Amino acid sequence: MSREIVEEESPSLTRVVSPENRSLGALRSVRWRVSLSILPPSPSVDDLRRETADSRRRYAGLRRRLLVDPHVPKDGGSNSPDLVMDNPLSQNPDSTWGRFFRNAELEKMVDKDLSRLYPEHGSYFQALGCQGMLRRILLLWCLRHPECGYRQGMHEVLAPLLYVLHVDVERLSEVRKIHKDHFIDKFDGLSFEENDVAYNFDFKKFLDSMEDEVGSQGNSKKVRSLDELDPEIQTIKLLTDAYGVEGELGVVLSEKFMEHDAYCMFEALMSGARGSVAMADFFAPFPAAESYSGLPPVIEASTALYHLLSIVDSSLHSHLVELGVEPQYFALRWLRVLFGREFSLNDLLVVWDEILTADNSKLDKVSGNEEISGFKILDSHRGALIVAMAVSMILYVRSSLLATENATTCLQRLLNFPENINLKKLIAKAKSLQVLALDSKISSSLSTFDVAYSRSKSAVSGRNLSSGPISPNTPLSVVADSYWEEKWRVLHKAEEPRQVDSLDKLAPSGKRRWSEKVRLVLSRTESDPSAARAGKYKKGHRSSVRRSLLEDLSQQLGLEEDTEAGDCFDVSNIEDRHSVEGQVEGQDDTSIASICTAEERCDSGSGASVSEESSSIFSDPASSGSITNDHENDTEKSSVASNLSSDGNDDRHQSDLEDSPLPVSSPPEDALLSYSEENESSGKMVSASKESRHLSGRFQWLLKFGWNNVSQEASDKGVSNETAKSANRDSKNNAADSSTAAGASRPTSQRDVVDQNVMGSLKNLGQSMLEHIQVIESVFQQDRVQVGSLDNLSKNNIVGKGQVTAMTALKELRKISNLLSET
Amino acid sequence: MVLVLALGDLHIPHRAADLPPKFKSMLVPGKIQHIICTGNLCIKEVQDYLKTLCPDLHITRGEYDEETRYPETKTLTIGQFKLGLCHGHQVIPWGDLDSLAMLQRQLDVDILVTGHTHQFTAYKHEGGVVINPGSATGAYSSITYDVNPSFVLMDIDGLRVVVYVYELIDGEVKVDKIDFKKTTATTHSAH
Repeated sequence: MSREIVEEESPSLTRVVSPENRSLGALRSVRWRVSLSILPPSPSVDDLRRETADSRRRYAGLRRRLLVDPHVPKDGGSNSPDLVMDNPLSQNPDSTWGRFFRNAELEKMVDKDLSRLYPEHGSYFQALGCQGMLRRILLLWCLRHPECGYRQGMHEVLAPLLYVLHVDVERLSEVRKIHKDHFIDKFDGLSFEENDVAYNFDFKKFLDSMEDEVGSQGNSKKVRSLDELDPEIQTIKLLTDAYGVEGELGVVLSEKFMEHDAYCMFEALMSGARGSVAMADFFAPFPAAESYSGLPPVIEASTALYHLLSIVDSSLHSHLVELGVEPQYFALRWLRVLFGREFSLNDLLVVWDEILTADNSKLDKVSGNEEISGFKILDSHRGALIVAMAVSMILYVRSSLLATENATTCLQRLLNFPENINLKKLIAKAKSLQVLALDSKISSSLSTFDVAYSRSKSAVSGRNLSSGPISPNTPLSVVADSYWEEKWRVLHKAEEPRQVDSLDKLAPSGKRRWSEKVRLVLSRTESDPSAARAGKYKKGHRSSVRRSLLEDLSQQLGLEEDTEAGDCFDVSNIEDRHSVEGQVEGQDDTSIASICTAEERCDSGSGASVSEESSSIFSDPASSGSITNDHENDTEKSSVASNLSSDGNDDRHQSDLEDSPLPVSSPPEDALLSYSEENESSGKMVSASKESRHLSGRFQWLLKFGWNNVSQEASDKGVSNETAKSANRDSKNNAADSSTAAGASRPTSQRDVVDQNVMGSLKNLGQSMLEHIQVIESVFQQDRVQVGSLDNLSKNNIVGKGQVTAMTALKELRKISNLLSET
Repeated sequence: MVLVLALGDLHIPHRAADLPPKFKSMLVPGKIQHIICTGNLCIKEVQDYLKTLCPDLHITRGEYDEETRYPETKTLTIGQFKLGLCHGHQVIPWGDLDSLAMLQRQLDVDILVTGHTHQFTAYKHEGGVVINPGSATGAYSSITYDVNPSFVLMDIDGLRVVVYVYELIDGEVKVDKIDFKKTTATTHSAH
């Protein structure tokens, strides 16, 4: 019977996930389990039952393993346990008693929270049985995930799950009562008890009962066959049939296994089930391993929230920011408990219905070459819906937020969400915002994120980020690479006629330029970078790192001249480079070359300049890596930037800040190149270009915080890349370019111009840019002098041209910086 | 799962300076729920130390105790078990099982803990247990010089008590275990 029923049921069960599905519609726990990927979204009841049974078996195994009863001998029968280890006072951490005491500690912590769980629904939640189940589930989960431990709030994530199961079990018992016949085992038309008393098959009785039934056939209420039942009841019957697949263990709605099911749901929700949003992340105090922003995930999500809000309702957003209401003050609670404390339990279930229905798989961001999105939470539908939900909630109380000028009042309003709310409206708004949130432009654009974050974090010291490992996957702005390419091409047209052998790397052959740059760098190593540049001096050790890297590079290039890579390497940029490196290999090569050259040339000079360089470098949007030219451009730019100890950075920043490709970099680059003592910024610039692909956010941070460490990484990477690439590239160009620093700088500057990163501009950047521009200009003056003394006439010509370009670029930079300062 | 520590006859500072370091390292606060001490601490500082291990502390008076206000005997109920505590110098002959059994019947306890002999003993007797935790510091006694430091930890769990004996023999801690099951639940006696 069951088989046919199943097949008939199939059509109604095919769309188990859709809310319109009537058969499972009322069974929230099953629906949620399917959404959480515990149960397969398959129409067949058998599959559901099998999965249920498996998940329960897993939990039972886990429980047996982890719940320690020290009285029970280990191995179930070792006759002489080592008492020295296994006694209650044993200090041995492995002893069963040790584990027992540790579990007891954990349980105490959990109990503190459980005793305060949902007092308004205390009749269910404060019951001993329920508390015991919750405690065990939380204990086992924490033992399973020692890196997370138990955090306050986890119990509130678990409680609704258990509740939902409980509700379904109650529904089941209701249904059972109503449709007794189908849920009781009846053989021969008689129930068990009647049969047992005397099994002489009493024909008479049997016939009587048959007659009864026949007689009552007329009674329309008596439904004999399963088919005539409501599809929902049919589903319930099949799901809970003790004789179905997997027997009792497969009974999908079972009171006995509520704990098992709740654990599975909790585990799936916390770990995200291979999706993007994992609740456990919200409880983690440290940034995730691949965090782009280096923030704890919950802070990152709160920032995403504000980011979306700023797009949707910028006045409210700015109002909140002005008042100093940081998103995490209220969003921490909202996100960690998935709005558990903002809504009543029944409302919450509706909200969770929506959230859990949303798909949690990672979305492929299709946005040019950007591989990474700005906010991890927006990487999935579910995450986007959560953020959208939060924003919709903020908008719901918009008027009261705008009305107050007091941060405390705002927070009070947000933390005590109004009781009687139009939930449908709220959810509908959230859904519309979800679409917006998923828009790739928004989610991957970190500019506002940066701005918002930097504003709120203005006080954060650079130290925090200085040595943090910068993931190479920092998202960059979504400016199409082709855009930068265009710019770059435009700029390069002017340099086409440059000689290859000159240090002029403007020639589209990136390789040549690149190698030239490298040569330049190498040649420059001898010259001590002048400390003319104002700014902090980078630590010596960093220079040595760079030096060694450059040495490697030079070796690969087959150049003998260079022995000491630029003395003053602003290693700070190396860091950035590193992250940038991750992006595109091809680019790296070119960029590396430029970096090398730039680096060599640059003084380790002012740290400020370096930092700025790095920032500018970062900001430089890396043009599509696939194009060598772009690479070169980037590298050029970066090198230029780096070259300009202080100036170039500014320029770069400016360009980044403005999110528009500025030909600014070229002039600075020129200036840098012409500088004999320019900083290694070139190296950085290379990395910067690479990094431009990376986080603009990172860029921001670099700007704000110490550049040193960052650049260090970057330059290291840059150098290494260059080394690798240079080996491949033309090592033949051992032109005399080296002597003309200007030449190298010029090409780089040109290139740099092309790839400007779209980074949020900051006022201070504008100002620093101005300063740098001034420096550059002064440098230019110097360069002119230097250039004149070069032997190579052609180079001089080139240099002259470069200078001109540089000057124009500088002017543009100045304009930009003015603009920035005024914002 | 109640852990009860039974020890006594420390004779600090007269005959011993302190507990052996290996014992001290094992006795950490937080694990033990009750401490019963047979007596002869002898000074208040020892009482304070024991208090830090566990706030629920029961002491009976030994003949060398400087605190005169400890009781001679004490009874307490932990879980399903009734425990009796006495120093033991009052019961003569010292350490004699029959005499101690008389005291056990007199106090009407399931587990009787006494000391004074500085020797660890544990007897199952007439449906009850008589335990002597020995001297926790290994202090010499009027009977013998050769004393191994020892104490007892009881794990009371429902109707079952597991007695862990910790002895310091040749510088190493040796642990032994004795199981004891009570036959009937504690009923409030009529008399």
